[in-house]
Amino acid sequence: MVEAREIETQLLAFLRREVFAPEVDLTPETDLIGAGFDSMSLVRVLLFVETSYGLWLPEKEINTATLQNVRTLALVVCRLLHEA
Amino acid sequence: MRPKWHLNGTDYLMLGFDHELRRRGYAGNSCQIVLELGAAISVETLQQRATTVAARYPILNARPSGWFCPRWKLPKGIVSAPRIRVHQDQPALPQRILNEPLAVQRGELARFDLIQRNEDRATLVFTWAHALLDGPGAEHLLALIGREDSLLPDALPALKHRAPRPLKERFKLGWKSLRQIEQFANVAPRSLAPRHLGVPANVCYRVEKFSAEDTARIRTNGSRICGVLGGAQFHAAAAMVELHRLHQRLGSPTPSYVLPLPVGLRSKGRLEPLFGNQVTMLMLQLLPEHLDSLQQTAAALKAQTERAMRAGLLESGIVLSELFRFLPLPIYMAIMKQGLRGEICSLFFGDIAGVNPLLSRFLGAAVEDVTHVAAVTPSPGLGVVFYYFRGELRITILHLAAVLSDAEAAEFAAKLRASLLHV
Repeated sequence: MVEAREIETQLLAFLRREVFAPEVDLTPETDLIGAGFDSMSLVRVLLFVETSYGLWLPEKEINTATLQNVRTLALVVCRLLHEA
Repeated sequence: MRPKWHLNGTDYLMLGFDHELRRRGYAGNSCQIVLELGAAISVETLQQRATTVAARYPILNARPSGWFCPRWKLPKGIVSAPRIRVHQDQPALPQRILNEPLAVQRGELARFDLIQRNEDRATLVFTWAHALLDGPGAEHLLALIGREDSLLPDALPALKHRAPRPLKERFKLGWKSLRQIEQFANVAPRSLAPRHLGVPANVCYRVEKFSAEDTARIRTNGSRICGVLGGAQFHAAAAMVELHRLHQRLGSPTPSYVLPLPVGLRSKGRLEPLFGNQVTMLMLQLLPEHLDSLQQTAAALKAQTERAMRAGLLESGIVLSELFRFLPLPIYMAIMKQGLRGEICSLFFGDIAGVNPLLSRFLGAAVEDVTHVAAVTPSPGLGVVFYYFRGELRITILHLAAVLSDAEAAEFAAKLRASLLHV
């Protein structure tokens, strides 16, 4: 089973490549919404998670706590994968 | 030989709308940012700063060149600053200015109109050709002009973010978008027909302003119905529900509504590039049964957005618009309208989030309010632009005088306002 740290690394690489500008110093603790993460970015991330892990994040899990930063997002993905 | 700069697919579409509007007697596809300033500003300083900026970005004086695969032909030698006109205070002047054409074919792509109200107040109207800049790009450019101490960044190439693909792959991707439009055309939309004939060919607008408390309430409503980050979707859903009700009130039923949802292509955390429309459209279609309630509409928009993204329609839309650049402008516009059986879409919708914080002052004067204005084409003849100034929501509602009367537009605006607040 994939671990939270690995998911975090992959999410971080995806966001750096596809969503944020190279000059944004994106770390696992960066406030995503504060850095400009928007609804279209969210759809991109949901599709990335679905393609990479076969998991579609349920509506109730998508909240400000989950999207606080890459680390919190990775932890939720990891928990749902373990529950599945 | 003069240096040239290619228009991207969205720039070319905006130039196409300019062509279409002028053909029908309108001023063209121009946008405006209106700044309400807390002090008078010096015309000489504005002139000086605009000259410096124009010298740095000669594209401000470029002319569109070529019937297909168009380029901006940059001027040779010395460039001139955008024209600055000074006016006495007159009612509804910014609206009149919007309906005065820019001489795009002669390289007039931007213009300033300064209304000196008194020593304590001035209004600056920045008008620009939509083919050159999008809203966030124009805000950034204006902020650079308004700050004498700011460094002027490079005007990065407009196509920088587009990864090149083999031609065969591009055709395959573009075909996907064409197929989607073909499917939409099976239940083609029908926009409001011009009913007020004989009125001048004018674009009119009104601005709905919301207090901080009302904005917070709308944000809460948006989160409740569309989830976290669902603000733009909530705005779009409310606008579509009210559009449907407007069609019903006016006795003008339509089999469907097509909404082009703009998607910004700038990487998050970067304002540049300044020039070129860094945006594409995700085409969505709603049937009347999707529009009974805001909740239902929001759910339909969300499901369609996810489906379209999963099917790669965002990318294929970009590729299709790039391929269309190889068509002559009148043929391009004819194909655009033919795609949806004579219509372009049912509503122009824009959501440009927060006004650039760099626009808090302009040449020393405090910026007390900002208004975004755009043109709308005869089909659909109606548009809404959502944005936030200092955290307070603003909506500019645009309509053609031939399509809606001022009273009908005011009613649409009031109902949209109520719908956002009291859902």
